[in-house]
Amino acid sequence: MDSLLLARLQFATTTSIHFLFVIVTLGLVTVLVGLQTAWVITGNPKYERLTRFWGQLYVINYVLGIATGIVMEFQFGLNWSGLSRYVGNVFGAPLAIETLVAFFLESTFLGMWIFGWHRLRRGVHLALLWGVALTAYASAFWILVANSWLQNPVGYEVRDGVAHLTDFPALLTNPTLGMAFGHVVSAALLTAGVLMAAVSAGHLIRRTTDYALHRTALRIGLVTAALSITMVQGFGFAQFAPVGSVQPTKFGGGDEAQATIAEWTTRFGPGDYTPPVLASAGLGFMIMIGFTLGLLWLLVPLLWRDWIIRLRFPLWLLLLALPLPFVAAILGWIAREVGRQPWIAYGLLPVDQAVSPVGAPVMLTSLIGFSLLLGTLAVTNWVLMARHAARGALDPALGRPPGQPLHLRTEPTFA
Amino acid sequence: MELTWYVLLGLFFGTYLVLGGYDYGVGLSLARNADPGRRRAALNAVGPFFLGNEVWLVAAVGILFGAFPVLEGELLSGLYPAVLGALAGVILVTAGVQLRSRPTHERVRARWDRVVVVGSALAALGWGALLAGLLQGVPRDTDGHVVGLSHLFTPFAAAAGLAMVALVAAHGATFLTLRLPTADAAPAGRLARRLLPVAITAVGAATVVGLLSERVRATAQQPLAGVLLAALLVTALLVARAALSRGRPGVAFAATAAALALPVALVGATLWPYVLVSTTDPGASLTVADAAASAPTLRLLGWLAMPLVPALLGFQLMCWWVFRGRTDGRAPVYW
Repeated sequence: MDSLLLARLQFATTTSIHFLFVIVTLGLVTVLVGLQTAWVITGNPKYERLTRFWGQLYVINYVLGIATGIVMEFQFGLNWSGLSRYVGNVFGAPLAIETLVAFFLESTFLGMWIFGWHRLRRGVHLALLWGVALTAYASAFWILVANSWLQNPVGYEVRDGVAHLTDFPALLTNPTLGMAFGHVVSAALLTAGVLMAAVSAGHLIRRTTDYALHRTALRIGLVTAALSITMVQGFGFAQFAPVGSVQPTKFGGGDEAQATIAEWTTRFGPGDYTPPVLASAGLGFMIMIGFTLGLLWLLVPLLWRDWIIRLRFPLWLLLLALPLPFVAAILGWIAREVGRQPWIAYGLLPVDQAVSPVGAPVMLTSLIGFSLLLGTLAVTNWVLMARHAARGALDPALGRPPGQPLHLRTEPTFA
Repeated sequence: MELTWYVLLGLFFGTYLVLGGYDYGVGLSLARNADPGRRRAALNAVGPFFLGNEVWLVAAVGILFGAFPVLEGELLSGLYPAVLGALAGVILVTAGVQLRSRPTHERVRARWDRVVVVGSALAALGWGALLAGLLQGVPRDTDGHVVGLSHLFTPFAAAAGLAMVALVAAHGATFLTLRLPTADAAPAGRLARRLLPVAITAVGAATVVGLLSERVRATAQQPLAGVLLAALLVTALLVARAALSRGRPGVAFAATAAALALPVALVGATLWPYVLVSTTDPGASLTVADAAASAPTLRLLGWLAMPLVPALLGFQLMCWWVFRGRTDGRAPVYW
């Protein structure tokens, strides 16, 4: 095994685990903003309890988002030092902006939000959650600016073999950016909607307490998911034209792809310039899942007179649909990222020139070590989320009034 | 322009060591605490600051990537083992602190606390070794690559790593003395007073090992600055010890905080005008100006940072102000 393959595998593993958590963070915070705003405006305690219950799941999920995100950030320097050497002047800027504008504030706000219950005024506490949500979206935007630049390098010129920034606005109007941002954001909302609907469906199937609470969450989740799957499909199909025009080799053959490959062969020497078949396979399966989830619209009329709950089988369908948005998200990224091979920056820097000159044994140690570490943490995190989801909304630790004994109960209370 | 960004980079990484340092110090203190309630109280003393502390590291690396891309690639890949250790530690602490109270059984929580202890030790060791790696230089070729990894494994790197562990342990105990309810602060204060001499010895030992190392002597461009700042570091720790004995935890915490920030200043000043000194070929050493991004990138980031850095500081200050003072029965508990 060579270092290049190991470095690529490590990037794929870390990014995939990272995105499984990020997509929930981004979607769920949007719903939470709605719930807490509703609570502050109406004063209805139901919305407070929904905010605490779903906020707790959100905060547990957030942990792995940070942990994997930190590894992602370091990985560029550790395994891809050629990336920072040759194109760091351009690619580094959006990443630096993301950490300063977005992530720094997001985490600062979230810490205050978690510990601010019963301590801050309601308006301030709500404003903090709005801050968390806005910075989360800003974070997604700047990361996609950076990623889009790798898909389609723009706004630079190469002097002495190093890329220099010449036109920053070009990075923001990159044809591979706009629709992709919409696609990712709506996929996040879809995931959060399906997650909410599925967890609530689980409670309604088991007939736990809090019927009214979970019924509301089921309705919010299903409507969110239905609206966003349509947006996911729209933004998804809208990407084919702009992406196909700047990345001719991404979606397979054609004259334009052949012409591009011929041009690269003269400029960079002979080589295999077609992306692996994995990319288009991923795309195909993702589109299938997308159409399947489109059927969520068929469940929406059943909200009338709670037929969705009374019939019961729709609840089982929602529960079974839970893995679908996650699988589709990973397949989508495989299509986007594997589809630009063999380039790290499309048509500019091949992956084999960007990989760090680190020996294969060290790279293998790092791959195995971090995959095990992050994999174990991810599974533990999901087990904890599932337990807290199953435990219900009776007494989430998040927002519990202070002064209560710390060890309130040792067993989950199911009614 | 480069100098401003270099200072900003040092400021963010130094602040991370100060703030993340007490997270790790409190994490290490869990090893000495058999009482589950006390362990939880210690973690919730860090409570609202925890997430806001670690972001300084993420922002520092963001600045490193944006403003010093060449350095980013060389530094992280050239000191791979140290970065790997620190990173694993940071992740273990992040996950451990936030998840430890989600299970309800004390036995499971105790297991998570051990994860936090191990993570804290790894993080401190890793960052100490990284700073030492800079001070002892790296075998960088003229083609710009750092060759091999064994260059990192020296007595000096080990001594610096251990000194960093001792520093964060003393810093964390001092933080708890300042922040826990008065009744619980006394044992924390005793722990801090016992740990500070250990930290002084460890820092002194690392300094001596560094001075004896030929590589460090050859790498240091401004040896006088290095020795002075090391002396200042020891002084800060002595001040902290004296302040704790006089019952002034606030002064003591300021002093240990200075002690955590000083290693960054020491490395920056000692290597100036270089950031990465090559041990094999003087021509391959990297100056601050060489390492920086080109002018248009720095200009763009500069326009952004000017309004942004005050805002970032402002929101962090807000967090410290809102949750100031000692924790008490009315303080929220979540970790």
